[in-house]
Amino acid sequence: MASSSVTRSRDVKLHGVPASPGVAVGRVLRLDERGRHQFYYIGVSATQARLEVRRLREALQEARAQLKEIKVRLAKELGYEHSFILDAHLLMLDDNRLIEELEQDIRTRRVNAEWAVRSVTDKAIDAYKQVSDVYLKERTSDLEDVATRILTILSGHDKFDLSKLDQDVIVVAKNIWPSTVAELDFKRVLGFATNTGGLTSHSAIIARSLGIPAVVGLRDITSQARTGNSIVIDGSEGCVILRPTKTVLSTYLTKRKREASYRTRPTANTSLAAETIDGVRMTLRANVELPTEIESLARFGAEGVGLYRSEFLFLTRLPDLPGEDEQYEVYRKLAEATGQAGANIRVFDLGGDKLTLEGFEAEQNPALGLRAIRLSLKAEHVFRTQVRAILRANLHGRLRVVLPLISTITELREAKRIIADVKQEMAETSVEHNAELPIGVMIEVPAAALMADVFAREVDFLSVGTNDLIQYILAVDRANENVAHLYQPLHPAILRTIAHLVRVAESQQVALELCGEMAANPVQAIALIGLGIRSLSLVPGSIPLVKNAIRSVELQRVRSLMKDAMRLTSSKEVEELLAQELPRQAPRFFSAWSSRS
Amino acid sequence: MEERKVIISNRLGLHARAAARLVRRASQFNSSVELRREDTGETADGKSILSVLLLAASRGTSLIIKTEGDDEERALDALADLVEQKFGEELSDGVF
Repeated sequence: MASSSVTRSRDVKLHGVPASPGVAVGRVLRLDERGRHQFYYIGVSATQARLEVRRLREALQEARAQLKEIKVRLAKELGYEHSFILDAHLLMLDDNRLIEELEQDIRTRRVNAEWAVRSVTDKAIDAYKQVSDVYLKERTSDLEDVATRILTILSGHDKFDLSKLDQDVIVVAKNIWPSTVAELDFKRVLGFATNTGGLTSHSAIIARSLGIPAVVGLRDITSQARTGNSIVIDGSEGCVILRPTKTVLSTYLTKRKREASYRTRPTANTSLAAETIDGVRMTLRANVELPTEIESLARFGAEGVGLYRSEFLFLTRLPDLPGEDEQYEVYRKLAEATGQAGANIRVFDLGGDKLTLEGFEAEQNPALGLRAIRLSLKAEHVFRTQVRAILRANLHGRLRVVLPLISTITELREAKRIIADVKQEMAETSVEHNAELPIGVMIEVPAAALMADVFAREVDFLSVGTNDLIQYILAVDRANENVAHLYQPLHPAILRTIAHLVRVAESQQVALELCGEMAANPVQAIALIGLGIRSLSLVPGSIPLVKNAIRSVELQRVRSLMKDAMRLTSSKEVEELLAQELPRQAPRFFSAWSSRS
Repeated sequence: MEERKVIISNRLGLHARAAARLVRRASQFNSSVELRREDTGETADGKSILSVLLLAASRGTSLIIKTEGDDEERALDALADLVEQKFGEELSDGVF
């Protein structure tokens, strides 16, 4: 087989969604997948290499058997003629050159069989892509198919342990699955770059939780990046550079250094209040995804948890659901850690771009499909188990429940009925719990925003979830690069909606909170308090920064600035106004901020 | 060592199915089989599908088939015959 010395183009720049800020520079670890299987590199000992060769041979044998079976079936169903389409596949599996090269790779480079299959076939695919014959170029798909078949078989055989990575990597994958998260050794992962996903996808949220840079929604980075390639990811800008040249690399190394110092600096204000110059106090709470984050809340000065994304309990458990006791332990920890400040537990927000429950199929239009509260009401047993665990844990602190994606009052009433029912059942069976459990709804669907006054009468608080609210009001999927520019948090329609919610909350005397990416962006956070929001929930790491921004402004002046902003006609005009006025009002904070970005 | 020049004359050239047939036939012999494009000098292992495909030999390409081993003559005859018979392509539907 011709070994190719293909030089791949340098400085390939790809744009995606900036999912988690920061710059990472390193080598690609590409996770390939067929279904849910993903592949990776592991260095092995000489003894283990022999075992790897055996695994490879067995996998090849199994692949042959599978293909022969398919061939027989094809012959039966499509006629003998068409069964030949698998001949090339079968011969590839018997190709001694290929097999020798694979075994050689395992023995001399001491790698696992998966890695050998991936790198050897990648090399061959590169060689084919150099051939000008269009027909032959298409044969790369045969080879890819054979490779993924072998890899799939291998993954079923004593799968290697991803938690034993021996070098730092930047993970490139179609998507980061919860199962991957459970397997990867995150101490070794410098960042993520994925084909799919938006700001609220698992890949993005996981990266933010881990505090590592990530760019998602890159569409086809998996077909352009090879394991071992050098790569730069800029999670603040939302771009990735593959195989950077020296010049580009040094620019990013400098940027990485600067970003790192900027991120660690503001933690000094932990003990200070989030108070404006004119003495109005804001509440800054934390969005939490992983139980391990709970310990870091005090360090960042979070006043409780404004959003605990409970679906993350699935991460380490897939495909099983976390049981009541397991959930209880996590919620109790949350209750204890947050004390009087309390914590909002958002009930499972599954479905959509997040993983779904077993037995529920993937949908054509998941953003508008069976997700969040809709799924919880459909899978009532799951919801009841969660409510039980929350009620029990509530003995140890002040928990509250938030219902995601509510669009009709019926859903709210149904959810409340189930919660009441669970309480009664627990009382009857003498299960210890604290029934004092405030209930709130997430305002994420335009219908809920418009009907907020109606909801306000039947809940204890309203929580605006800006990520989804913006997506649904503007009808924009931010992960879709064709329309990503239309995702505009400062669009007048968003400002009007938030101003409307503030008015409703005041007139109905109901607490109003806000969580989402907007709260973590200093300019947008100031715009929000100017609109009348007093309680923000954001990623813990951004609390010190936003607190500094709040402490640098006078609320009176910000309010009148936002009054002007409300009269503008486009997001661009609003941005320009803020970019011009905020540095004037608060030069100490905003001049530095805007010169940075 | 035996050598013979043949011209690929089937419609689709040495595409996957033709290559598959050639490799399978070549593998039936003990002799080693080498294919060489007359124009570029590129060579391929006649028993390796991946290698044969990479020759990208379209219709009209001249190939030198070289066999070496205890059954080199029979191998060469069989392979040259297969190419001349257009890999049996026209006998079937030629669609791939």
